[in-house]
Amino acid sequence: MMLYGPLVVWLGLSFFGPYDVTQGIYSKLLYIHVPTVWVAYLGYTLTFVYSVLYFFTKKHKFDSLAVSNAKSGVVFTVITLLAGSYWGKQTWGTWWVWGDARLNLTAILLLVYLGYIASRQFNKDLGKTARNSSFIGIFGVIQIPILHFSVIWWRSVHQQASILSQETVASGDAPMSTDILLTLLLSVLLVTLVHVFLAKKFRNSNDILWDDYLNPKSRAKI
Amino acid sequence: MKKNFIVVLLGIGLIIYASTIIASRNTIYYYTTSETTNIEISKNERIKLGGFVVENSISKDAGFTIFTITDGNKDIEIVFDGFIPDLFQENMGVILDGVFEDDAFFADDMLVKHDNEYVSSDGETYNVENYSE
Repeated sequence: MMLYGPLVVWLGLSFFGPYDVTQGIYSKLLYIHVPTVWVAYLGYTLTFVYSVLYFFTKKHKFDSLAVSNAKSGVVFTVITLLAGSYWGKQTWGTWWVWGDARLNLTAILLLVYLGYIASRQFNKDLGKTARNSSFIGIFGVIQIPILHFSVIWWRSVHQQASILSQETVASGDAPMSTDILLTLLLSVLLVTLVHVFLAKKFRNSNDILWDDYLNPKSRAKI
Repeated sequence: MKKNFIVVLLGIGLIIYASTIIASRNTIYYYTTSETTNIEISKNERIKLGGFVVENSISKDAGFTIFTITDGNKDIEIVFDGFIPDLFQENMGVILDGVFEDDAFFADDMLVKHDNEYVSSDGETYNVENYSE
């Protein structure tokens, strides 16, 4: 219930929200594309933090937290790629631009974290699996700053950041109408909530795996 | 365990290496109109050219769309034959793929490069003076 509340409000907000007059109604994809990719970054950053914590403490709750954030991050990365691609078709005139650094790096980001999830199956021993996966969780985060600055370092099709740019931060003025900006920020908040509850769901299933691993007998009785 | 660990580390290394290589080869996706005067372009070499569509320059002739793009310093005439995205219009940024023939640029592929501005129907905008690209 907690998961679907913010989800429905967010989708409603995106559907009925204001749009850019030049780009037309498809610019409402902004409310999907931007919050989901930010929250994916948030998820992967938390995966990094919990992977470090797991690596040094070996407490299984940190591993569960790392996995659940990565899984939720993957969900949001897929959504951001789909929404961005559809927006690209409507605005740029193409679904995908192979020469664009930001697009390619986002696709690689998705592959790395799909690899992280796949790495959970590499070893039957959950303790070893968790240790191996934590390396991906730790090193994978390097991609996020590269991704953020990719539109500045490499000149291409993807536009510059509207909110998290030097100009906006320095002047306090985003290149957006206030109603669009507010809708966007509200969407970010709602998607963050969706992420928290989605990650919680994923965490529960991983806690069961750990319970099986640590207390094999208690599960066998059931 | 050691084996898996090495495979995983190698995989991550490979991905990071590959992404930097891929990305560094594409440091410039397109040239601006001014830059074309400084670079060597052999005849019939395909390049990507970016700029803003000049006002009142769009016309149609024998199936071709003819217009001028500029980066503020240099104008180049474009002869275009291909799919035109809906957002193609005056003052919009475009990236064209094609070849130079004399002083005109013959292109058959167009991307509209929209900037990071979002202005809703109430017309309210941000402070332009504080903002530069």
